[in-house]
Amino acid sequence: MVNIIVLIKQVIQTAELKIDKAAKSLVFQGVPRVVSETDKNALEESIRIKEKHGGKITVVTVGAPEAKEALREALAMGADEAILITDPRFEGSDSHAIANALAAAVTKILDYDLIICGAYSEDLFAFQTGPRLAEICNLPQITYATKITLDGTKIIVERDLETERQVVEGKLPCLVTVVREINEPRLPTLMSIMAASKKPTTTWNATDLSLEEDELGFNGALIEVLRSTLVSGDRKRIILEGDSKEISLKLAKALQQEGVLKVD
Amino acid sequence: MQEENHGVWIFSEVPKLAFELLGKGSLLAKALGSELVAISIGPAEGNEDYIKHGADKVLTANDPALANFHVDTYTDALSELATEHNPDIILIGATRNGLELAPRLAERLKTGCVTEATRIEPDADKRYLLMDRITLGGNLVETHVSRVKPQIATVARGLFSALPADDSRKGQVVKVEPKIKDPSTKLLEKMPKGAKGVRLADASVIVSFGRGIREKKDIIMVEKLANAVGGVIGCSRPIAEDLHWLPEEQYIGLSGQKVSPKLYFACGISGQIQHLTGIRNSKIIISVNNDPKAPILEFTDYAIVADLYQILPVLTETMRQLRKG
Repeated sequence: MVNIIVLIKQVIQTAELKIDKAAKSLVFQGVPRVVSETDKNALEESIRIKEKHGGKITVVTVGAPEAKEALREALAMGADEAILITDPRFEGSDSHAIANALAAAVTKILDYDLIICGAYSEDLFAFQTGPRLAEICNLPQITYATKITLDGTKIIVERDLETERQVVEGKLPCLVTVVREINEPRLPTLMSIMAASKKPTTTWNATDLSLEEDELGFNGALIEVLRSTLVSGDRKRIILEGDSKEISLKLAKALQQEGVLKVD
Repeated sequence: MQEENHGVWIFSEVPKLAFELLGKGSLLAKALGSELVAISIGPAEGNEDYIKHGADKVLTANDPALANFHVDTYTDALSELATEHNPDIILIGATRNGLELAPRLAERLKTGCVTEATRIEPDADKRYLLMDRITLGGNLVETHVSRVKPQIATVARGLFSALPADDSRKGQVVKVEPKIKDPSTKLLEKMPKGAKGVRLADASVIVSFGRGIREKKDIIMVEKLANAVGGVIGCSRPIAEDLHWLPEEQYIGLSGQKVSPKLYFACGISGQIQHLTGIRNSKIIISVNNDPKAPILEFTDYAIVADLYQILPVLTETMRQLRKG
């Protein structure tokens, strides 16, 4: 029996973001919110572990009340229960403040062997939540997992690094972050979606987690965001025109002038 | 806020990246009137190279238990050194090792961390660093400030330039012996990967393709152009993750490889912002796309609005002749 906590994040589907050029801002309206892909991989892996070893999967998220939708999807995929951590006072959190809130939740859940999450979220790519949470909870971290095998309290993980793959052995309890290639997340079925509505979802706010005012959101953040601006393409934007031959010759000339093409 | 934080520290387990961090670090140290310190953990040899590349001082920890990177032991070592010496800034190479070390270290020191910073500059008062990072799938640049010191940032390879090695530079090498605990995990096995991904990150010419290539067999067209321009091939995320036509190491984007070639060809890539983020450090970007409204055009130096299947063979032949001189 293995009790697993899966951390998920609801993110806006960044590929659907449009830019309002006149207002120089992003258009968030109508952009769907989804479960971050790597977190789905984390959940899928925990379901596979449960299928093999038995146990319980608790899925946890910090977010706006709408993040309940993400939890519902996770329950439909196969989690047993869900916890939504939400509080307007979390506004302005950085990765430390989020990890701190998650640590309080993990401590309150108490009964777990394994925490799994994506190595990064699809919106921020910060790679911070897992290691920061592991540090606060004084847990070993095993990152970038592509395969997880359990044997009693022993955990064997294959890891994907830039130039090598590793196989490491650790002990439960620990925190594992996964990358996309670990598995293909399942799609919920009609049956499992129906079943999910009967599964328990608990909501905790900062007070439920005994968090102090100075730990929360903007006050608790170690990083302050001074400003944010749209990424602009600082490029020449020269359109080469003509037939294939003409275009090719124009480009050849331009590249020679730029001095970027090595002539043998 | 502690006033006594002093010194720009750099750490990467990859020497080439460490030298790039020293290149950036030397500019920061100069601007702040500060010393530049390289943290050398693991092998004792190579310490002089840090000095040749700009370090004023090297703190070197050569405990055999630190011979190979482990997030536990390296966090122990760096956190103890940082607690003792109170550096102002710690720049860490954004390898996968660096990206699991930096947040854990930051959490132990209870300080902020900006992962994969794209711009690092002192503010007007030279008290804090302004650290930019790209978020929301590559759409936004946020400027971050750490309220606590040391200010920690991770930096991707290829973003900053190393100074040329200067054999005449003098510096101090100081042996340190931080206390480390036994690591919580044990390495059972390691298997080197094909070097393709690494080659892409270091490539000076890349020819990349996306969904505009209709069938797998047509990749040969892209390969021929790559050959003609002396480059390597890459692709957009869907080609690797959804279609599996190329290994995952070969897709370029925010979540994949970040490249900085002199010349980047984007063939049949519409220009999802996530892809554009991976190529933004390219010197010259050329796009080939039949859609005059494709977002890639905004991020292009030389745009070819044409049918890929018609233009690529002609372009390939022209480039081949050009390079023959």
